[in-house]
Amino acid sequence: MKAETLRKHIDLHGWLGMLAGLALFVAFFAGALNMFHEELHHWQEPYVAESGGGEGDLQALLDQVLAVTPEAAKLMYLVPGDDPVALWQDANQEWRFDHASDFSAAGERVKTPRSELAEFINELHYKLALPVVGLYLMGIISVLYGAALIGGLVIHWPKMKKEFFALRHQGNLRRYWKNLHNLVGVISFPFHAIFAITGAAMGCFALLALVAGTLVFGPQLQGAITEATEAWPTPRASGEMVEMAGVAAYVAAARAELPDLRVDWIEVQQYGDRNAVVDVAGSVPGWIAHHAHVVLAGDNARTLTVSSPGNRPFNHAALSPVYSLHFGDYGGLLVRGLYFVLGLLGCLLFFSGNVMWAERRTDRQGPNRSAIIMLRVTLGVTFGVMAGLAVSCIANKVVSHSPWAGAVAWSEKGSFLAVLLLTLLLALRAAPLAMCRWGLRGCIALYALVPVVQGGLEGFASWSEPHIYLVNIALWAVAASLAAVEWLRVRRLRRAGPHPLWESAPPAPTGEAGLVRS
Amino acid sequence: MRVLLGTVLGLPLALMLCGLMAAIVPVDWRQWLVLYLLLSVVLWSALIMLAALPATHGRTAVWLVATNGAAWILLQTTGLYGAAA
Repeated sequence: MKAETLRKHIDLHGWLGMLAGLALFVAFFAGALNMFHEELHHWQEPYVAESGGGEGDLQALLDQVLAVTPEAAKLMYLVPGDDPVALWQDANQEWRFDHASDFSAAGERVKTPRSELAEFINELHYKLALPVVGLYLMGIISVLYGAALIGGLVIHWPKMKKEFFALRHQGNLRRYWKNLHNLVGVISFPFHAIFAITGAAMGCFALLALVAGTLVFGPQLQGAITEATEAWPTPRASGEMVEMAGVAAYVAAARAELPDLRVDWIEVQQYGDRNAVVDVAGSVPGWIAHHAHVVLAGDNARTLTVSSPGNRPFNHAALSPVYSLHFGDYGGLLVRGLYFVLGLLGCLLFFSGNVMWAERRTDRQGPNRSAIIMLRVTLGVTFGVMAGLAVSCIANKVVSHSPWAGAVAWSEKGSFLAVLLLTLLLALRAAPLAMCRWGLRGCIALYALVPVVQGGLEGFASWSEPHIYLVNIALWAVAASLAAVEWLRVRRLRRAGPHPLWESAPPAPTGEAGLVRS
Repeated sequence: MRVLLGTVLGLPLALMLCGLMAAIVPVDWRQWLVLYLLLSVVLWSALIMLAALPATHGRTAVWLVATNGAAWILLQTTGLYGAAA
């Protein structure tokens, strides 16, 4: 490849990474924690020692929801668990949810304020917790990320073998970041390729469908998409009310079709109507594309169709791995742990990419205002998000066990935002090197502290509960990872001086006099 | 600027190029629609990268508009749009 072309690819890779890097850092860090989403749902609730942990009664929940909200019969999802959940759409098409514990013995809905920590982390992951535009923004970011990956592959393919062993303490600090970035990028490339493609497909699905429908396939696309993505067409209500077979019969019928099926959710449509349809959806272990659906008639639980690994149309077979490869839910705890580690390494990749962009720009153009702002914003956002989520976890436990437990969801999001803004402000004022040192040490302390606060408030016996244990281990693993980065940083600084950019003063109001070279 | 051009004009181009492929492949596009969408995403990313290689913004804009136009005209020669609607 010509040197000029290679240089263009390197520039483009840097620009694309810089444009997408901060959003991807947030998505990857929240995504790494979100690998334990189900466990976080348990962790966020006040620990109850006598909890039986058995399956809750889905039929009772279904009946209770329908008794107080008849319109939920049109479309409802039932999620099993010790405190099962029903998700349904109200008259304004807004999604609502009820837990089984939200109903009194008399069947009245008695909503109590709940923690939304796990859902908040999930929203940070897939839409940066931004309403309306967040999902589309993340879709576009994923496409740019894909372009940066293709560029990275073009740059690194010829020297891939060398870069596996390139993490050496040679030359200046920038070379070290570069080697670290290349090493992490090369090792985790397949993982990133999966995320870029599946993330873009999920985030941009509506946009892709709109443009493809307008330019390529015309009005016929809508029907084709429905057929390609849904297990069964949406039924229309007949208006004739009949008796339903019931949740137990649906689960039994589904298990008769797929004995290994683990039920993840049950979708009911037009419940109570002659045309009611029930989709018992779940997983068949031993497959990457593990999703399975058994669609049944609501009145007598007769099987309408079965879509399972090895027995489904090509579109369904192609769609299933889009989800499973993205969510890492196909190989048990080992694969989830691997995704967690690779997610944290991804954070390091985006952080180091942004640092390299800023240093490279300074080296090429001299003291540079945009480079120093980029470095400071990178430090502020990365440490702000990490510290914010740790403080959010602490707020969850402290407020849940205080007289203001009703404000727990508000306190989680409010503390995150406050810490993020404060850290960003601090990063724009303090010298980057000091910000990096104290940011890292602060985050290590916070992540080490969260399980201690949880244990202190709820009793250290709670640590033996598997879900709490797993989340606490994950939080300590974050602290340990940050401690490893801090150790590398300190060791590196002992051997070579920092790039002048790291010792710069806050950016000047105008011009490019914001740097003080050491 | 070139990245922006690639992002905006690369999307229809990627979908139309994959649409042309769908018109050529002897399997009904409805049967591999999910794969079509995934391929379009990959091609869109590649086009963003290619769009940044020309020396000037103008050249990027010209070749993107020209290829979009050519792909659209070629698509009209296929029976894809609205066929069997």
